[in-house]
Amino acid sequence: MRSALLLAFAALLPGQALAADQIALDNSVFVERVKTDAAGKQRILLEEPKVVVPGDKLVFVLNYRNAGARAADRFVITNPLPAAVRFADAGDTQPLVSVDGGHAWGRLANLTITLADGTRRAAQPADVTHIRWAFQKPIPAGASGKLMFRGIVK
Amino acid sequence: MTSKLTYMGSIGLAAITCVAATPALAAGTTAGSSITNTATVDFQVGGVNQTQQSASDSFVVDRKIDLTVEEDGTATTEVVPGQSNAVTTFLLTNNSNEVLDFALAATQITGGTAKHLGTDSFNATNVRIYRDNAVTGTVGSFDPGDALVTYADEVPVDTPVRLFVVADIPGGLATGAVAGIQLRATAREGGTASSQGAAVSQTSGANTAGKDTVFADIAGVNDGARDAAHSAADDYTVKTATLTVTKTSRVVDDPLNGASNPKLIPGATVEYCIAIANAAGGAAATSVAISDSVPGQLTFVAGSIKLNGTVTGSTCNADGGTGGSYAAPVVSGTIATIAAGQTRTLVFQTKVN
Repeated sequence: MRSALLLAFAALLPGQALAADQIALDNSVFVERVKTDAAGKQRILLEEPKVVVPGDKLVFVLNYRNAGARAADRFVITNPLPAAVRFADAGDTQPLVSVDGGHAWGRLANLTITLADGTRRAAQPADVTHIRWAFQKPIPAGASGKLMFRGIVK
Repeated sequence: MTSKLTYMGSIGLAAITCVAATPALAAGTTAGSSITNTATVDFQVGGVNQTQQSASDSFVVDRKIDLTVEEDGTATTEVVPGQSNAVTTFLLTNNSNEVLDFALAATQITGGTAKHLGTDSFNATNVRIYRDNAVTGTVGSFDPGDALVTYADEVPVDTPVRLFVVADIPGGLATGAVAGIQLRATAREGGTASSQGAAVSQTSGANTAGKDTVFADIAGVNDGARDAAHSAADDYTVKTATLTVTKTSRVVDDPLNGASNPKLIPGATVEYCIAIANAAGGAAATSVAISDSVPGQLTFVAGSIKLNGTVTGSTCNADGGTGGSYAAPVVSGTIATIAAGQTRTLVFQTKVN
């Protein structure tokens, strides 16, 4: 139990990936800003999250690498959404999402929310509580990849 | 194997619970709170579950200073000359992600176009600011329970605070006179109740990893964009009654000709009509008291007073109801209301001595 607690704390230390002898996982966040240059052209810049205020668009980037000598199978990355961040989209990375705190999973288009009066409505991006990418094929030794999703600071 | 799975599950739950504890307000995440994103990887190697890996990233939400001041309603405040405590109402909304104080300043414009398109032509006096007591008294309206303020103390986020700019209107003003009023609120540090906080300054120079301050407000009527202040305008418009009095007379009959072409000979009956016209576009006049002295050569005909009659064009209809009184030599009567654009009359008869 003691080791479990230590692990739980370590998981919350910012910017630190656990010592990984098999899988290296790196989690970073950027603020997406639209800047208009001198020529009037709009450019989308990804900046370090130094100045972040409610309403800012965030881009979360997850880099993973199989640093081990053998292929990693049943590879599942789970990312609970921080409470102060509203999910926007996950680009074309096609994740499974949960809108009920991680109990049921599915594509956002297939999920529904039960309303107070018992009726159901289609789930919206703002309802997402967890994001999960479950890989169908093993990750070969040495292989790496990148996943991303966008959110908005509440 | 089973114990290992349970063990990993407990880690996941602990992480979720901690992250979910970050407070989120409707107005926006509170300044200074930390957002931590944690991703975990579960995987197998050679069909054996491996220790779950996780990675986190954390940053601090900065302070966004944003506010709006707006007129409550869309019409001018109509006032009458000499009115005390004429009220214009504004709403102050703290759109920042922190509770703040706001310094308040009510000013008047000199000339120029006021909020509701009139031209500013006078200044109200004794201009004060009150904050609506949202708990007791008449909530939403100015009443004695509202507090006289120079700053709005500890304004919560996203909850409009109603402010009343209260002023006295000088006498002797004509209908259509306008006084333009502006109210400006400037953000001050919050956190200490019942005392105005220090001025708020924007974090200059390089960004810091901690809580920075960013001004995000738009320009108002007398402040610029991103200056931690916002302002709005409203105005007072005088609406008063402008009364004109016309007195006419006609001979009704005489002892020789009767009612047919009567002449003004002794014993003839003379009818007086006092017409009070209230100009169009103003306010209704109430309790209009009329008095007229009967000349010494005439004798008042008892019971001849007709009050609240009408005119057609400029012709007195000599109608109306009972009312008025005679206390020699003065005929008097009071008309309850003369609406704007209306003319009402007091008619009485006398006999030539």
